[in-house]
Amino acid sequence: MPDKLSAEDRARFESAVRAHAAELYRYAYWLARDRQLAEDTVQEAFLRAWRSFREVRDEHSVRAWFYTIVRNEFYRLSGRDAGRPQTVDIEELEIADSQAGVFGMEIRDALKGLPAAYAEPLALQVLGGFSCGEIASMLATTEGAIMTRLTRARQALKKLTTAESVKVRRGRLA
Amino acid sequence: MNCLDYRRELLARAIESPTMREHRLQCVQCTAFRTEHLRFESRLQDALQVPVPPAFENRVIERVFSEPVPTQMLVSASRRRWLLGAAAAAAAGLIATPLLLSRREDPLALGCIQWVIKEEAKSIMMGAMPREEAVRVLAATLPLERIERLGQVRHIAPCPFNDGTAYHVVLSRGEDKITLLVMPEGTAAKRSRAQYEGMAATVITAGTGSVGIVGPSRAVVTGVAVQIGAAS
Repeated sequence: MPDKLSAEDRARFESAVRAHAAELYRYAYWLARDRQLAEDTVQEAFLRAWRSFREVRDEHSVRAWFYTIVRNEFYRLSGRDAGRPQTVDIEELEIADSQAGVFGMEIRDALKGLPAAYAEPLALQVLGGFSCGEIASMLATTEGAIMTRLTRARQALKKLTTAESVKVRRGRLA
Repeated sequence: MNCLDYRRELLARAIESPTMREHRLQCVQCTAFRTEHLRFESRLQDALQVPVPPAFENRVIERVFSEPVPTQMLVSASRRRWLLGAAAAAAAGLIATPLLLSRREDPLALGCIQWVIKEEAKSIMMGAMPREEAVRVLAATLPLERIERLGQVRHIAPCPFNDGTAYHVVLSRGEDKITLLVMPEGTAAKRSRAQYEGMAATVITAGTGSVGIVGPSRAVVTGVAVQIGAAS
């Protein structure tokens, strides 16, 4: 009986890995900003998840559970403090009507410079599709705090990626 | 809803609620803002899609299935069985392992930190207990109303810990996340402390039992302990 159950669990787990490994790798990458650490984080997270996978019967909660484990593993492996996100001030920007001239590669560059406290909820929302309430539960904070971080993250990215800002930075590099 | 509310909501939630839609359909400026926002979101989505290493899923699967199957996997899926079956492992693994790692720290406080590292995500994933039940089971040790004064309660559930059943409470307190392990059956002889893996813990007596407090620093944990102690 245990062998049979184990084979079923193995098939379920393999299917879950194939379904979620890529998005979890991307989430880990935006936590770590380092490909090797992202890969190690996801490997360790799945190893930990497999040890408890039998407990999971609600398929809808598996994805959020994986994200939580990846987050915990990242903070454990990196030695950073999950309970105290970086509190780097992002200047509160005007919400302007004009947001012209957004460039894809520049957004990625700008994302790499975004403090983790802002990039993490953004990755959970855009990559994971989680709501502000779900992200607040995962990061053990309030929905209002998450909404503030998401607003500021987008404002900062928009400002950094406007045509004018790109020209200025290119000019400095030239 | 006014234009500022619409734009703030859109920047935070990224999707439009019916109320927001109603406003946008009557506002030319917000229609233009949304058009630009959708373009930005599409590019943001693309920017976040970093390439995944080739055959990554296969490597994960190979690694996972090459590890020996832990005996705890043979435990039933129900929370009740998890509580009973994992209790011994929790007592042995969560307390003995940190003890081996650092003999200078108190084993029970270290056990609290180790529990947070290894078991907290699973406890949250398995869902919270009903509030009425939490009020009843916590009453003699640390009443829920007193816990709510410490910070915003995000999660409460029973868990196996220290040879018995404890109650796992996750609190957000400003920028800090605090975990309480309320142990109605366990009485700490003295206040114990530990630091491990970037976290700090202390165990104090409270009511008829004791409470383990785990947080990001000794100062934060001490602040919570003082607040609990002052109210006892």
